[in-house]
Amino acid sequence: MNHAPPHRRRSSRTCGVAALLLLAGGLQAQKPTVAPKTFGDDYAGSDQCQICHEDNFNNVTHSNAHRVLDTDPRYGFQGHVCEACHGPGAKHASTADISFIRFPSKLSAAETDKICLNCHLNQPTHAGRIQSTHAKNAVSCPSCHKMHVNGGALLVARKNADVNNLCEGCHANVKAQFEMPFHHKVPENAMKCVDCHNPHGTVRPTMTQTFAASEPGCLQCHGDKRGPFTFEHAPMKFDGCTACHEQHGSANPRMLIRSQVRQVCLECHANMPAAVPGESRAMAVVPPAFHDLNSPIYQNCTVCHQKLHGSYVDRFLLK
Amino acid sequence: MRSYSILLLAFVMAGFVATAEAQDAAAPPASGSPAAADATPPATSTTTASAAATPESRPSGESWVTGTLDIGYRWVGTPGGSFATYRSVVNLGSGPKLVGLDLTILQPSRRWFDSVHLRAYGWGGDPYSTFHLDAKKASVYRLNIDYRGISYFNNLPAYADPLLANGITLDEQSFDKHRRITSVNLEIHPGRAFTPYVAAERDASTGTGVTVFQSGGNEYPIADATNDATNLVRAGFRAAFRHFDATVEEGYTNFRSDQNDSTGTKNNGDNSAPLIGQTLDLTSLLQSYGIRGNSNYTKAIVTSSPFSWFDVYAQAMYTAPRNTVNYQQYDTGNLVVLSQLLFYNSEQYLVSSTARFPHTTANAGWEIRPRSRIRILESFLTDQMNNSGSAAQNETILAPAASASQTAAVLDSTLGYHSNQAEANILFDAGHGFTIRSGYRYVWGTANDAVIPASGLITLEQDKLRRNVEMGTLSWRPTQKIFLSGEAEVGQSGSTYFRTSLYDYQRIRAMGRFSFWKHWQVSGDFRIMNNHNPLAGTSYKFITHQESLTLIYTPRSKTVNADVTYEHCGYHSNVTFLIPQNLTPGDSVFNENCHRISGMLNASVKGFRKQTVTLEAGGSAVLTSGSNPASYYQPTAKFTAPMIKNVALFGEWRYYGFGELFYQYQSFRAHLVTVGLRFSK
Repeated sequence: MNHAPPHRRRSSRTCGVAALLLLAGGLQAQKPTVAPKTFGDDYAGSDQCQICHEDNFNNVTHSNAHRVLDTDPRYGFQGHVCEACHGPGAKHASTADISFIRFPSKLSAAETDKICLNCHLNQPTHAGRIQSTHAKNAVSCPSCHKMHVNGGALLVARKNADVNNLCEGCHANVKAQFEMPFHHKVPENAMKCVDCHNPHGTVRPTMTQTFAASEPGCLQCHGDKRGPFTFEHAPMKFDGCTACHEQHGSANPRMLIRSQVRQVCLECHANMPAAVPGESRAMAVVPPAFHDLNSPIYQNCTVCHQKLHGSYVDRFLLK
Repeated sequence: MRSYSILLLAFVMAGFVATAEAQDAAAPPASGSPAAADATPPATSTTTASAAATPESRPSGESWVTGTLDIGYRWVGTPGGSFATYRSVVNLGSGPKLVGLDLTILQPSRRWFDSVHLRAYGWGGDPYSTFHLDAKKASVYRLNIDYRGISYFNNLPAYADPLLANGITLDEQSFDKHRRITSVNLEIHPGRAFTPYVAAERDASTGTGVTVFQSGGNEYPIADATNDATNLVRAGFRAAFRHFDATVEEGYTNFRSDQNDSTGTKNNGDNSAPLIGQTLDLTSLLQSYGIRGNSNYTKAIVTSSPFSWFDVYAQAMYTAPRNTVNYQQYDTGNLVVLSQLLFYNSEQYLVSSTARFPHTTANAGWEIRPRSRIRILESFLTDQMNNSGSAAQNETILAPAASASQTAAVLDSTLGYHSNQAEANILFDAGHGFTIRSGYRYVWGTANDAVIPASGLITLEQDKLRRNVEMGTLSWRPTQKIFLSGEAEVGQSGSTYFRTSLYDYQRIRAMGRFSFWKHWQVSGDFRIMNNHNPLAGTSYKFITHQESLTLIYTPRSKTVNADVTYEHCGYHSNVTFLIPQNLTPGDSVFNENCHRISGMLNASVKGFRKQTVTLEAGGSAVLTSGSNPASYYQPTAKFTAPMIKNVALFGEWRYYGFGELFYQYQSFRAHLVTVGLRFSK
């Protein structure tokens, strides 16, 4: 229990952030410069690669973000942009034998990723990488990022349609879910998959994006469901929106997991006593006893329990 | 209004392009620009100078503004069937449209920017309009502006209608809202060792609808007006070092939500039957919610790779949103307090409440590579949240032939959730394209939910979660043309929070991809999940499976390409419950069996004057059976035909057909035709 008054807690947090800033500033000033890499005879240089692979060379060095390898000394590959990923190429250049050059796309996923992560490991985007199902299921970086492309549009897909096409390549079943009548507007390209998921991994299940630090990414667009409510509906906080909604698409109105609203509610609020007194029986099993489902009024819970995401006013979520 | 927004957007675009052109004309030669000099370090002896010196440079003679602008007009034929459902599902309207804008602007002088990408889609009254701007100048800044406007219309006659069984359809659960989501992100010195950034986001919604005022055994449809807004500002920095990277972010949100419901006309509600000889009615109502809230949050991420065989990361996030609420309700009529059978004429109900919700999440993980073929991944996650709320309620009732009754109450509430997860995976590269993974996860936590009145009984529920999960994957990629993967996950729980949560479950997924005959690719995906809660009084069984098959044809000539996907899915759920009115056991059964097919054929053919005309045809069809049989068809056909240089004519036809077996009055069908011009450069 923290008994410090709120203003003191705020001050300490501000001081903490300021200290981190100062520390970062100090570290920045002390940042060691990378000694220029010396290339041995086994390296050919990008100009040698250009002779045979001009298209790829031009794409990478003109309009692709990887051109920084060629221009920024910090990466240690100035003039050797191709060999940064493909390894030393002198032997391949002199013999034109493909067995002397490294093809990242033909390596195992772990080996491929290692090449990319040489530069990209320490990025906040990848902070949840170890938890991502992509990393665990041998989906390597080039599966989504096309390296030799002009303009960078496929290196990192940005347009909604491009992103969605990319994901649908493997997730055909999810694409099919979006074809249901009630769906998030992904097929219309008003949204893209990465609005809700971070394919590199997050702290939340199914690589869901987060909002305001640690809260579910759904709240990015559904801010009115964030609360905090005086009277919370617990599944919203414990299991998230998917406790009641199909997140991609559904044949049921409002993307519910059941066709009838009362089914969604009664499966948890089941009025079942514990088999053994004192035994755990799951939360929220008892609804009020006067609910006569023969009466149409009681057949649709949300008619009365309107604030089912949580209420600021009423413990029974009526208003 | 729609035309104005198109004109305004077009004006902004034109102004932007004109400004950029003017800057370009006035800019000094690129070689003399200090900024250009910064961004183009001198070539070393091993650097291929010419190409590297001009990132995103354009070849001489090539336009520096490229892209397309699609403007057109859409006709929506009068939808057959339920127009309310059409609007709830599709909601596309007639009128002039900015169908799409996609521009890339490169400034040769690179004085203000290297490149600007502009994208805008669906302007002119469409239910989802988007605008996106990316501007960047190498090592100086990167600016992203994103806007999306989304209309939420929902008025499904059969949805949660208490009188549906009597053949009466209502609009009591309807709304028509417009949500606008804007975000602006600015990064300073991107790609450098120290990168500060600042961002602002706004998520705002306004709208109207119909809701119900519920009182004493009757519910009264009333007009509803809502508006809410969440503003978020955040700032932080990324510090990148050779083996270490840190990100610190501090954010602040501000929340406002107002809801006002009112009626001044007599309303008999849904229940017109007299209650003990009296007919219930509502003659006036003023109900309003005023909600104000804010929060600040802190996020810190550290990643490091101190050794070639070891990577580690950690992140910590803390947020503490809080809200205060003032609720006022004044209602008059002939109303009743059912529990006391007290009929009354007027009521005043005031509530003042507050809630605070500190939420901390921390996560750490590492990857160890003890051998070149072995990777060990371990992670730990903890998620701690506690909500504490308090509501002071004051109710005054004026009943005929009785003195005023006043009730005051204070209710406190708490909600706690403490969850932890530890996971370890070992991956082994067995050679010949085989990768094997084996893993284990343990999830544990506690939760509680309580409402605490100032006097009387406390309602308290608490439970815990204990779950062991074993996982494994086998993937095989012998060549680039073949990929096969199988994944299994088996979980066993000692207890869970809710009856329908994961308990004892098995999840299996298999997928494969095979390229053949140079231009063909076939891929398949099969997944099944089975969840079973055997506890007495629950007996929850849930099984879902999906099987999909995709065939893609992409020849190099690109004159014709096609793809088609078929998916079958099944969904079955069964859980026992006690029927509330007689407490006899019942089964809640939900079944869904669906067939979904989608495909698209693209063709380029030589047309008039040997111009290339592109044609697209395809769409999707969904058929479901089971608890809610439905069908949904979306065929479409498009063409683009060049007219003169840089101008093409395009046209599109779409059809939407939706039907439900049990609620046939909710079906609709509509034809949409769009014709327009595409300007390209």
